[in-house]
Amino acid sequence: MSTFDENALIEYVTRQRWYGAKSRTVSHSEILDAIDVRTAERPLALALVELRYDTGAHDLYQLLVSGREEGILFDGLADNPGSARELVSAMRTGSTLQGSQGVVEFRPAQDLSALTRELGSARLVGSDQSNSSVVFDDALILKLFRRLEPGINPELELLRFLGEHGFRHIPALGGWYSYSGAPLAATLGLLQEYLVDGVDGWELTLDEIASAPERSLDRLGRLGEVTGQMHTVLGSDVNDPAFAPEEPSVESLGLLTATVDEEIARVFLSLPEDDERIAPILGRGEEVREQLRLLTHAGSTGRVIRTHGDYHLGQTLVSGTDWVVLDFEGEPARTLVERRRKRSPLRDVAGMLRSFAYAATAAELERGAEGVEEWEQRARDRFLESYLDTVDPTLLPSGEAAIERLLAVFELEKAVYELRYELDNRPDWVRIPVAGIERLMRQAAEAT
Amino acid sequence: MSDTWFERDPLWFKRAVFYEIHIRGFFDGNDDGSGDFRGLIEKLDYLEWLGVDCIWLLPMYESPLRDGGYDISNFFAIHADYGAVDDFRNFVEQAHQRGMRVIADLVMNHTSSDHPWFQESRSDPKGPRGDWYVWSDTDERYPDARVIFIDSEPSNWTFDPLRGQYYWHRFFHHQPDLNFDNPEVQEAMLGVLRFWLDLGIDGFRLDAVPYLFEREGTEGENLPETHAYLKRVREEVDARYPDRVLLAEANQWPEDVVEYFGDGDECHMAFHFPVMPRMFMAARREDATPIYEILDRTPQIPDNCQWGLFLRNHDELTLEMVTDEERDYMYDEYAKDPRMKLNLGIRRRLAPLLDAGMDEMQLLHAILFSLPGSPVLYYGDEIGMGDNVYLGDRDGVRTPMHWSGDRNAGFSRADWAQLYLQPLMDPVYGFQAVNVEAQLRTPTSILRWLQRFIALRKEHPVFGLGSYTPLRSDNSRIFAHIRAWEEDTVLCVHNLARSAQAVQLDLAPYAGMVPVEMLGQTAFPPIGELPYLLTLAPRGFFWFQLRQDA
Repeated sequence: MSTFDENALIEYVTRQRWYGAKSRTVSHSEILDAIDVRTAERPLALALVELRYDTGAHDLYQLLVSGREEGILFDGLADNPGSARELVSAMRTGSTLQGSQGVVEFRPAQDLSALTRELGSARLVGSDQSNSSVVFDDALILKLFRRLEPGINPELELLRFLGEHGFRHIPALGGWYSYSGAPLAATLGLLQEYLVDGVDGWELTLDEIASAPERSLDRLGRLGEVTGQMHTVLGSDVNDPAFAPEEPSVESLGLLTATVDEEIARVFLSLPEDDERIAPILGRGEEVREQLRLLTHAGSTGRVIRTHGDYHLGQTLVSGTDWVVLDFEGEPARTLVERRRKRSPLRDVAGMLRSFAYAATAAELERGAEGVEEWEQRARDRFLESYLDTVDPTLLPSGEAAIERLLAVFELEKAVYELRYELDNRPDWVRIPVAGIERLMRQAAEAT
Repeated sequence: MSDTWFERDPLWFKRAVFYEIHIRGFFDGNDDGSGDFRGLIEKLDYLEWLGVDCIWLLPMYESPLRDGGYDISNFFAIHADYGAVDDFRNFVEQAHQRGMRVIADLVMNHTSSDHPWFQESRSDPKGPRGDWYVWSDTDERYPDARVIFIDSEPSNWTFDPLRGQYYWHRFFHHQPDLNFDNPEVQEAMLGVLRFWLDLGIDGFRLDAVPYLFEREGTEGENLPETHAYLKRVREEVDARYPDRVLLAEANQWPEDVVEYFGDGDECHMAFHFPVMPRMFMAARREDATPIYEILDRTPQIPDNCQWGLFLRNHDELTLEMVTDEERDYMYDEYAKDPRMKLNLGIRRRLAPLLDAGMDEMQLLHAILFSLPGSPVLYYGDEIGMGDNVYLGDRDGVRTPMHWSGDRNAGFSRADWAQLYLQPLMDPVYGFQAVNVEAQLRTPTSILRWLQRFIALRKEHPVFGLGSYTPLRSDNSRIFAHIRAWEEDTVLCVHNLARSAQAVQLDLAPYAGMVPVEMLGQTAFPPIGELPYLLTLAPRGFFWFQLRQDA
């Protein structure tokens, strides 16, 4: 590793899907540390690569290097996904490997039966913006985090915590590996149970809205319960500082309101004037802001806890007859520190309710479902009712009215974000956030 | 600590918005009537929301507080009112977690007379610290060095009856100057820097930095020896603590201050003092000339250096760097009550200086944010807090932050009488009228405007990194200039007059481009070959991004 072609390295990293800074000019790159995982005839190493830019903070990426020829690096995963088996066996044995600047620790999470036997097939599954994944024998999935940020990854942190506290609606954690040394301390990857029979919650809901709406309502009622249990567990350990529920700061509601208010003002400033789909809310920006002010005029905000952070139907599976919650990484665009911040659990709830609105419209467009507006309303009611019956009430604002108000603020925040996103990316979907904003205005008018 | 904060961005300070905090006055976390680090941590979410990149702390060290903590009696301890070193460490970590950095004041020039070093030096002239301060048998050495605190100190020498000699002090007599000719003193001060850098601090504002050395026949300011020592400090910081910053407080003319940048190998930043009174002068005279002139007089600085710019800070609005005539003008206009004067300056906050005029506050922030440099905000000015000129020294601008209309302005849960100073109660600036909570809720407040404005500035690195080209016109009431960096070209036009103005700007080099107003994203008519006509509201301003197409 001591010599390498810097340009080839930059060329390689900046070509990858998971490379995040496509618009910036790389000025310099360097391998900060390289850790041999296998030294036999087919060597394999983990490399921490730093990219520096002309301006702004640098980035660190994880590479799995399977070989080198004339200074050009080869990616161990693309080359041969099976090479990732080495990482799993290191977890199984709990090895610690030494680099020049720090160590990589591999750790097993628990006695997962799939972990104890030899692994057979390995295939690379769609790598996304921040990580690459390998599935073994349709039983285990290894996720490698590509762009590294200092600190424990929230997915590892939440899966461990939820598992240890008896919440079963998650894929079991198999193990993980992390780096700690001079450049940084960070989670490099984790191994999870792969639920091969799992049905995507979003697709299933769309199908059922069209074919069996009553069944989907029962299911979403159950999802409310599961969500309530999840939040109760997340807020249950007062002795763990990373998870103990906290009182939000005095300004928190004011800061939230101001932030959402600015966002509303910005979005309404740039609304196209000739778009029929926008007509119901066009020119009503001030009215929306007025409603927001009424919603946040007074009232408690409950406590803040660790949350899922990016909660919607696309993050769920139905495995067997019950729900499984996936992907605790939080919103990928936010920094790791932001994603680990404690927030009101109602933020997750708002995310899920907004996703029902999307499901209703998508079912209509893509599955020809009818009566979706009524379905959405009933789905909201069912989900919320069972959620509020289950969740630890001390985490929420006191009183139904205060809960509704805070929930409406979070939904408004989401809907305004969606409006901007859909205008830029999917004009056909604009009517979903438009309807959402309209409903919130109606609801707020009734509540106040 | 540093394993969670590793972002290496050597020029971060060029794009940063700084926020200066008087810890005692910010928030009381332990209900004893005085602000502290625990309280500061509770308010970090607010500062993050506001868009602050770097917090600058006024002195936090152990001190008898005869000069607001600039009289340090132990460089390695936190003043008990503020907490302990662990609280400080925790604070820095919490700030870093929110993406904010922390720098703190450090006084290298002198200590408190209570400092054990001084006590040893005066009682044991032959002892190990006998030569750590500047002692003399006469008070006639260095006669060319001016007295800075003319209101309270007759001389730079004070006689110590115990040692039977005079000691040198450029500031108060209870702040003896350290003898930087002694290599042990130089080394001891490096030890102080290392101690705080190891705790994770992101840099220092070096207080009173021009005065470290004394030489006969000189004014004792900006001496070559001082620069040599600062370069040594920089070398030490670069070698062991990358991405930290040294900010020089040198209240000098720009041509002298640039010396503190060296060749990019001395201080990273220095305050631009003379530009500040000229912004106020320009606003009062309704004439942009003083701003143009001082910027014309400002030399180029190395690419890896930056000016620190501010409207107001914890000290008096200093008038050292103006002519006598200009000073008289400033006193006449801004300090009608003699109580408002202090030393060579005016001890007032931003809002009272501008009669709480919303347009004026926005205009001055716009000018500040448009200039080449990094803006430094002073706590409380973001809500237009007032001052109390009846309090002594500079306490009038150091009263508690107004968080809400609740008891003690939401600053403390202690008894009213127990507060280190009482929040303002007058009908215009009192905490019932001017506070964070109320302004957060009011979209038209100065706080909400400033938050938007900071966000806007940060979207455009050109303001921190770009070139500056003045655009003079026939209308002297207009301050206009162009900032450019990479693809981003920005035209800033400010009307200093109390009346509406029209101006014709020569924008021929940008012919064909379209000015898009940056706050509202409105496209203006394209620039042609003829002078570009703009009309501005009283105290109004426009910031345009010049685009190839709308």
